[in-house]
Amino acid sequence: MTMKLRIGYVPLTDAALLHVAKAQGFAAARGLELDLVRETSWANIRDRLALGHFDAAHMLAPAAIASSIGVGQMQTQLVAPVALGLNGNAITVSRALFDSLQRSAEGDLADPRVTAKALAGIARKRKEKGEAALTFGHVFPFSSHHYQLRLWMRAGGLDPENDVRLIVTPPPFMVETLREGHVDGFCVGAPWNSLAVAAGVGTILHSGTAIVRNCPEKVLAFRAEWVLERPAEASALAHAIGEASQWASEPSNRTALVVLLASVSEPGVSAETIDQILESQPPEHQAPPRVSAATATGLRLDPAAIAAHRSHALWLFAQMAAAGQVAYSQVLAATAAAVYQPILGPAIAGPIDAPLVFDGPEFTPDDLPSYLKAMGIAPRG
Amino acid sequence: MDRDLRIAVIDKNPLRAAILEEGLREAGHSGVVRIDDTADLLDRIRVIDPDVILIDLESPSRDVLEQMFQVSRTVARPVAMFIDRSDAAMIDAAVDAGVSAYIVDGLRKDRVKPILDMTISRFNAFARLKDELERTKSQLEDRKAIDRAKMLVMRAKAISEEQAYALMRKTAMNENKKIADIARSIITAAELLR
Repeated sequence: MTMKLRIGYVPLTDAALLHVAKAQGFAAARGLELDLVRETSWANIRDRLALGHFDAAHMLAPAAIASSIGVGQMQTQLVAPVALGLNGNAITVSRALFDSLQRSAEGDLADPRVTAKALAGIARKRKEKGEAALTFGHVFPFSSHHYQLRLWMRAGGLDPENDVRLIVTPPPFMVETLREGHVDGFCVGAPWNSLAVAAGVGTILHSGTAIVRNCPEKVLAFRAEWVLERPAEASALAHAIGEASQWASEPSNRTALVVLLASVSEPGVSAETIDQILESQPPEHQAPPRVSAATATGLRLDPAAIAAHRSHALWLFAQMAAAGQVAYSQVLAATAAAVYQPILGPAIAGPIDAPLVFDGPEFTPDDLPSYLKAMGIAPRG
Repeated sequence: MDRDLRIAVIDKNPLRAAILEEGLREAGHSGVVRIDDTADLLDRIRVIDPDVILIDLESPSRDVLEQMFQVSRTVARPVAMFIDRSDAAMIDAAVDAGVSAYIVDGLRKDRVKPILDMTISRFNAFARLKDELERTKSQLEDRKAIDRAKMLVMRAKAISEEQAYALMRKTAMNENKKIADIARSIITAAELLR
């Protein structure tokens, strides 16, 4: 008996493992027929998953947590047996901002501490002159892209609420908004940074991994209710993703992976671009000055990268609290952690790849209040 | 207090947006503004300061609207989605129709419901219209392909029109295909052999 699953996804490189699970027959071998449905917004993914139009979805991990702890719209308890990868984002800035940073930076531009300080100086000067605040785009209020921008700016002493504007910009509009000066930079996932560079409107300043190593990204999310009714199917899909991850990290499958991803990508995304993203090399059109291997996206699809570690969920929850989106409580933290249900996924050996921020206090999953205090967040209530 | 509601419609399909706009005007809402799905959406919305925002679900700008719930300082008044968990059936109907609504907090539910009902019905009507147009178009194209293939078969085999059609129908039945598909294969083959 084959069961048909409708799965929503956003056409990004990190939806890869869903495509592999389908195309390479890993899902079919476990009795699942995958109907992958392309979506245009994270809000649609969330709503259609909550409403039961989708059985599962490629979802921003923080958005899955937000839904489950009752922050934002369409509150529904979700469950993620596996992640769909780690890393993949980058911070791209306009040519003009890159030039200003280059002029005012004291030190190596590859060092996010140096650029954050320089950025703070530029933002302050703008304020003094009464000019419009520097504006940065990200993809969703509950996204690691948003938190990576905040962590970067924090290192320069910038207040993301008052010194800059952080706005959601749909990835398909990022290149256009950068060209027209609606934003001065953005943090977005692959392949969009590469496209901005190819269009000649931006320079990749930092890879996401320069800000946060092992940054949690997307998860395979189900409604908790659905998983309770069909635990075997949820687990089967999670295991198929595990097999897809093994297949995708096999070097001999690289060409097949690139061809597959090119066939399901947005128009204008070439196989070469995808190959570079997977290779974690800076794109060919990258502006020459000093941007090196540090700009690699670091997108990881390997088996260790799909483990749904609870410490990852707690780290994301802490970033939500640090961004003022939620007030910390023990109950909410436990609810956030419970979104990740690795027990339903494949067994993944090896040490936990904990998220590691380039600056700021050390993350202590067992003691969130201390971490938040060190981040300058006063306990509420 | 009971001033005209300002309704912003974000829809990149001009025909559907016009159909919706017309419906809203007929229902007495004159303050309807259509916004393009553009890069500076937040600024546009701030200027229009709408009470209700209706957005096509195919628009990636939905995620921009989501942010307005998080950062209320970007708009004059805090915004909240009218349809909450208690209105699951209505959310379902809206998403099925391909539309979502964002409503300024504090707006009376009884004022919003008819607007949303109207939007859903117009979106559904548009979807039916589109289906029908597409069906008509494909029927027309099928007809044309069958006629052309028939001519090719008549010429190639020196048979009558009825015989050519009967042959194509028999082939379609044998291969479990539509006669239009068989016709297209014949046309393709003829082009290759030319």
